[in-house]
Amino acid sequence: MSTTFKIQTTTHCDVLIIGAGGAALRCAAEILEKTPDADVIALTKVSHPQKSHTSTAQGGLAAVDPKDPLDSTLFHMFDTWKGSDCTADQNVVKKICESAWEQILWLENRGMHFSRDPQGQLSKRTFGGHTRNFGETSVHRAVFEADRTGKGIMDTGWGETLKRGITFINQCLAVELLIKDKQCGGCVVYKQKEGEFIRILAKATIFASGGSGQVFQVTTNCRQNTGDGLALALESGLPVMDPEAVQFHPTGIVGPGILASETLRSVGGILRNQALEPFMINYAPKMKELAPRDMVARAIESEIREGRGILNPDHNIPHVWIDLRHLPDEVHEKQIPEVSSFFKRYVNLDPKKELCPVRPSNHYHMGGIPTNEFGEVQNEQQETIAGLYAVGECAAASFHGFNRLGTNSILELITMGKLVAERVVEHIKDEPKSRLDIGVDQFAKRFSRYMGATGGDSLGELRNKMRSVMTEKVSVFRTETGIKDAIETLNELKERADNTAIAGRGLAMNQELVQRWELDNLLAVSMVICLAALDRKESRGAHFRDDYPVRKDDFNYHTLISMVEFGTPELGRREVDMSVFKAGGERYEMFDIIERKY
Amino acid sequence: MTSTYDITLNVHRYDPDKERKWIQTYQLEAGRIMRFVDVLRKINDTDDSTLAWGSSCEHGQCGTCSMKINGKPLLSCELLVENAVKYFGTTTFTVEPLDVAPVVRDLVVDTEKAYERIDRVKPYIINPVLQDEDEMEHQISPETLERYVDATRCINCFCCVSACISSHENFLGPNAMLAAIVRIMDPREQEKQERLDCLYSADGVYRCHSSQACSFVCPKEIDVAHFIALAKEGAL
Repeated sequence: MSTTFKIQTTTHCDVLIIGAGGAALRCAAEILEKTPDADVIALTKVSHPQKSHTSTAQGGLAAVDPKDPLDSTLFHMFDTWKGSDCTADQNVVKKICESAWEQILWLENRGMHFSRDPQGQLSKRTFGGHTRNFGETSVHRAVFEADRTGKGIMDTGWGETLKRGITFINQCLAVELLIKDKQCGGCVVYKQKEGEFIRILAKATIFASGGSGQVFQVTTNCRQNTGDGLALALESGLPVMDPEAVQFHPTGIVGPGILASETLRSVGGILRNQALEPFMINYAPKMKELAPRDMVARAIESEIREGRGILNPDHNIPHVWIDLRHLPDEVHEKQIPEVSSFFKRYVNLDPKKELCPVRPSNHYHMGGIPTNEFGEVQNEQQETIAGLYAVGECAAASFHGFNRLGTNSILELITMGKLVAERVVEHIKDEPKSRLDIGVDQFAKRFSRYMGATGGDSLGELRNKMRSVMTEKVSVFRTETGIKDAIETLNELKERADNTAIAGRGLAMNQELVQRWELDNLLAVSMVICLAALDRKESRGAHFRDDYPVRKDDFNYHTLISMVEFGTPELGRREVDMSVFKAGGERYEMFDIIERKY
Repeated sequence: MTSTYDITLNVHRYDPDKERKWIQTYQLEAGRIMRFVDVLRKINDTDDSTLAWGSSCEHGQCGTCSMKINGKPLLSCELLVENAVKYFGTTTFTVEPLDVAPVVRDLVVDTEKAYERIDRVKPYIINPVLQDEDEMEHQISPETLERYVDATRCINCFCCVSACISSHENFLGPNAMLAAIVRIMDPREQEKQERLDCLYSADGVYRCHSSQACSFVCPKEIDVAHFIALAKEGAL
């Protein structure tokens, strides 16, 4: 049976947002507040915007309260710069840190349920890497809504956009970008529920498609984070910036991948291998379990690689143990109750009596679609594409450089969301109508190929193989041989994927077809991660090369990588913005290339 | 200790292309700490790639993977095989989509339709109390917040709607009422009257039979019935 793929309808709008998470909704809300008549459409892969991955962010939002005499925006900028291993762009860092508190008030004034201090003001907590006086001592800078800050942002953003008449298209995919002559005119959308393809023409198109965590076997990311935005950009001839910058958390809980927080180690939890040896002493003799995140992650991964891990049979995932059995009941009950409950709920273990399985878990993608400080997407030559923007985890402006500080991610969503909106509002005023002359052809070829394949592989098996090889060879530590092995495997998987048949023939809610499309995206993103990691012969932030373990000044740049054809990349570079340092203002010397030591 | 279970899933399926409904039986070996989402994924990967089901975060924060297992509405990402065997006393499970909206395919329901009830109660601040000074946060004491903060934890998984015994078709349902109640209790909202009118309308709180099924099934352990009781008493 052959299926033909045709555009069913064409819709026009002012603004089309690919995504409906925190960044998308903050951006949409601002556009609708400033131009109430604007037609704004937001697409989401999930069944409703509230189900977006932003909803799972726990910790908080870093923002310097101008009323706080102990903290200053300059300190926040410094922490971000240092944390990024001197690869964030300082113009972006300055903009975001300076507008942070205003955006917290925006959320509060529109109903977010922030936790309060006894005076009724916003409570603040401290986080790793947040300091005052340039690293002198820790500072209370993060506002939060209990352990569900991301949910608070989503509920507020969703409510505000609903109130102002946004149109959501749920459970759909953006399958082809309409782009020509450095101009973007919208995209082709596959509506899963109806099984239809439609064309949406827009004066402005905004990528807000989230992360790519499903590239790895264990991740804190939701099932839909398959790097679709990055793959779509690559397919359209656009570059991706710093794809090799991927953050891992040392202790994810085997199964759901969610974080077993740092606290477990700070209250005295001990990491043990298969022989129950406390192994951290071999990697960080003084600091042991309290060594920095990346060191702990590499230590765990080394134990696993050298055969001293344990394989969980149910999830087929190798791990080590965290031992909390010796901790007093009081510590279990007062200091780590929520993490204890995670172990109970997801692995059915009592941390008071039993060893708990943990391993490094993928957490965040610092790299993404390159934009300038206004969120305007750039091509390889760093020219902006008219009418095309990117914001949130899928974008790289770059606020995080090669390593993101805790609580800076959801801050980026709301600050950049607003800044991009300001630009978009100007653009749609000037742009009389959307472009109609951009042809559509790629999606039909692609989906016909998917439906026409006849091979016998299982998509799930191919996906699992990809996730294993990326975890083993290209996660917390990387070597030339390992990366090359991974590239070989990816090429083989790509070929097999191209031949894999899809059993379900209908187009309505055909999840297999969606998974097939996602697998292509995952493979493309995995490939650019590998190629960029191979090219960067140094270690920087979250990118650690075992064969080149130190940071080198020769690599003080952002990687740009384009890949229209799978496995055939073009590599380029973008300069790191050091405008704060160059401006020579107050304590400018702290914004030079400095050591990242804590 | 048993390390794996041989389980049987009787899954209620629906094919929209042929408008066909049937029950399909899957038998598989499942590890003790596999969750039901892992079991469904295993079926997709090894047995039947066409079985459609929904999930997103898979750790109890988004409410996408709710379904009925042996009649109980729950989040399938939180149900471990071992616990299911113990709780239901069987290794055979009936798996059904949540009966809160039309089924799109197999276990996937039209969430948008389910959400229409939430949209009706306007889940945002309609008319905010203005601040004397611009750019200031509202002062809300921890005691005030404590009265309604539990109601803000709802993730709209619709398990409560599925369990609710009120048969009235237009009844707002527990989670929509909860969303309305939050903004009645939130001191930042000025528009109380419109909200009260909605809550005390023919589709509102008086359709509730006080069975407390909502509280019983809530995966977030929110005492939904407590908030509805406050509304009934006029004690919000």
